[in-house]
Amino acid sequence: MMITKADMSRRARLYALLSRLYRVEVDAPLLDALKAMSFPTAGNEDLAEGYAMLRTYLDCCGGNAPEDLAVDYATVFLAAGSADGAAAIPCESVYTSAKKIFMQEAWEDVCGLYARSGLTKDTKYADLMEDHIALELEFMAGLCRGTDLEAQKDFLDRHLLSWIPGFVSDIEKYARADFYKAVGRITLGFLRMDRAMLDALSEGSVKQAASYSVRAERMDNIFARLRERYRIFAPKRFAKRGPKGTDLIRYGEIRSMAEIVHNEKSHFSPKEVFYPISQTMFLFKEDVCTQKELEDDKDIILFARPCDVNAIRRLDNIFLRNGNPDLYYSRMREKLHIFMLECKESFDSCFCVSMGSNVADEYSVAVRIDDICALVEVKDEAFLPYFADEVPIDFAPQFVRENKRTAKLPQIANRETLGEICKSDYWAQYDEQCIGCGGCNTVCPTCSCFDTVDVIYDETSRDGERRRVWSSCMLQDFTRTAGGGMARKTPGANMRFKVLHKVYDYNQRFGGSEHMCVGCGRCVDRCPRNIDYLDAVNGLAELLEKEDN
Amino acid sequence: MDNIMLPSPHKILSVLKETRAEYTFRVAYDGVTDHGQFFQLSIPKVGEAPISVSGKGDGFVEFTIRKIGRLTDGIFGLNAGDTLFMRGPYGKPFPVEQFKGKDLVVICGGTGMAPVKTTLNYFYDHSDEVKSLHLICGFKDIDAVLFTEEIEKFKGRFHVIPTLDNSSAPGFESGLVTAHVGKVPFRDFEDYNVVIVGPPVMMHFAALECLKNGAAEDRIWVSFERKMSCAVGKCGHCKINETYVCLEGPVFNYTKAKQLFD
Repeated sequence: MMITKADMSRRARLYALLSRLYRVEVDAPLLDALKAMSFPTAGNEDLAEGYAMLRTYLDCCGGNAPEDLAVDYATVFLAAGSADGAAAIPCESVYTSAKKIFMQEAWEDVCGLYARSGLTKDTKYADLMEDHIALELEFMAGLCRGTDLEAQKDFLDRHLLSWIPGFVSDIEKYARADFYKAVGRITLGFLRMDRAMLDALSEGSVKQAASYSVRAERMDNIFARLRERYRIFAPKRFAKRGPKGTDLIRYGEIRSMAEIVHNEKSHFSPKEVFYPISQTMFLFKEDVCTQKELEDDKDIILFARPCDVNAIRRLDNIFLRNGNPDLYYSRMREKLHIFMLECKESFDSCFCVSMGSNVADEYSVAVRIDDICALVEVKDEAFLPYFADEVPIDFAPQFVRENKRTAKLPQIANRETLGEICKSDYWAQYDEQCIGCGGCNTVCPTCSCFDTVDVIYDETSRDGERRRVWSSCMLQDFTRTAGGGMARKTPGANMRFKVLHKVYDYNQRFGGSEHMCVGCGRCVDRCPRNIDYLDAVNGLAELLEKEDN
Repeated sequence: MDNIMLPSPHKILSVLKETRAEYTFRVAYDGVTDHGQFFQLSIPKVGEAPISVSGKGDGFVEFTIRKIGRLTDGIFGLNAGDTLFMRGPYGKPFPVEQFKGKDLVVICGGTGMAPVKTTLNYFYDHSDEVKSLHLICGFKDIDAVLFTEEIEKFKGRFHVIPTLDNSSAPGFESGLVTAHVGKVPFRDFEDYNVVIVGPPVMMHFAALECLKNGAAEDRIWVSFERKMSCAVGKCGHCKINETYVCLEGPVFNYTKAKQLFD
């Protein structure tokens, strides 16, 4: 189990929200915000039941809810309308002092604690005692934003957990609507869960995601140590290896941070690292086939952008979950450890936000690189030792939230519409334009098709090997059978096949919300005939909209 | 994890010349195959392609291969005693259990007869398990006729209409298979199935002709021939829309097949 900075700030936010709920009555904007929230289902019984109860209340409550809740708030917490003052009085002293009255030992204790922490009472709490639940929860939220876990445990043990159980059962007694009963259950459940989490954290079963600032030359030393167990691949510059004498940026093995091209998009995707352009599957002699084993026993560290990290999940579906799993892919995939390369900003042709692939969380380490240093967030504890001597810093990766370009996904209502799309002359525009070079497939992070090719060592023997080589659905012969039959015969038909696979077919097959395309835009950048794949997608969507109207 | 791409060696038991361009290879094989399934056959140095099982028996399977294309040329250099690498069987078979006790119509064109031949032989050997069997098998011309002896044999127990596309010869009707579909008494059938295998255009029009003659869509079964480099759902060549012919086919019910848009 791994706790990230995001988890820590989630804790703080929940403490702050609970504090607000007890501080004053709920107003309409807060009620709307609560209705829009999704609640977790996990946790302990109190938490789960509390969330369920709250959800039901929010879903069913009418327009009078703020007024109703204001009445309930006054009844439960302020003893309004109660002749003997019986209520769930939200102050610790009332629950922990012998005489059940305000401003006793607990109150003195928290006052001292706040003073020692340099805190003064905010005006919004002016009417409340220092040991009011709202202040204690707010204080806890503040502790969560720091790193002193012992102080958090201590405050929970000595204060909140010492009286909240009794307080919550009083809420159950006095509340009429389910809202405050639910808030009480959630409070108790969350405090207990949080307390257990803190124990686990200090016992070492949960590690806090650590983040560090690392200077380039120190990073190179870390790379040197990592290279004893890992090969490190990142986007690198290959001078003048691109079209028309330009530089090519593609994946290669690196030794130093300076080699990583961090401010440009790589022309090729990282898939070639774990799904090689050409790989030998087996060797054959007269009548025996021998599987080719991997020559390298090192694992692989792969620096990959969020879209490319998400692309790997698509490839996993094809190679591991479409029929029986593929051994050649699987054994490379198992070696991969992702160092996610943060995108500082969107590149020109990206449309990852439209495809929902701008955010990734399946990584071991996240990295923000500039020329002099790297900020790293280490999620996978296996990598913690390498960064132990670095400067701790508060860092969590940011994600691109907006692209210059957007994709409008075609809404294909039914099979009939699909048939019409396939027969449409919309695709004929590509018959002239596309030369069937397959460059778009080559640079795509999710294209997975391949051919098998046999290579013999000399003409006189039958000894040789079978290789698997990337193929491309845009090639003229992609569907040509031994007998010469071809399912698709024109570049337009191939374009239609590719586009639909990327934004429809894959999703139909594997379900969920993801399409195969991750919106990296490399195919748009690469096409020698300036065919814009995104225009093709958007044009199709518009065509369908027009036909709808 | 099993290596699904690794073939195993099998001895060629015999090679039988069917026509000038087609040979049947009998290969030693001890496993089980179902009607209409296929293997990935490979000839080292050349490559791999999906080939339907055209015959099977105790300890062997047969493949009927046409001499066109790079891959199949390589196979013609092989003789009895040589080794053939293969893996399989793959694909969804014809639902032969469903055919039992009913009338069966088989319409095939050219090498399309190969994938249905084990089904035909099964019902020849168990003729009490099918109410009637109508076979329409079309060939381009007399030189292209396959399985001559077996067609003769089938005549003994089935209603057989062998036909040549646009020539005539003794014992053969003339015209495309579609021209003879009308001879099948669909309206007299209580329950029936239709199997259509051949080139895409032939399957398309033969199915339409059956529908015209009163056949129901869900009684029609077709088998697709596609390029495949893997046959295990990875290489992408045989994909049509969201469907992988290697995994969900090659045999499809017509209700599904007509909704696959190449």
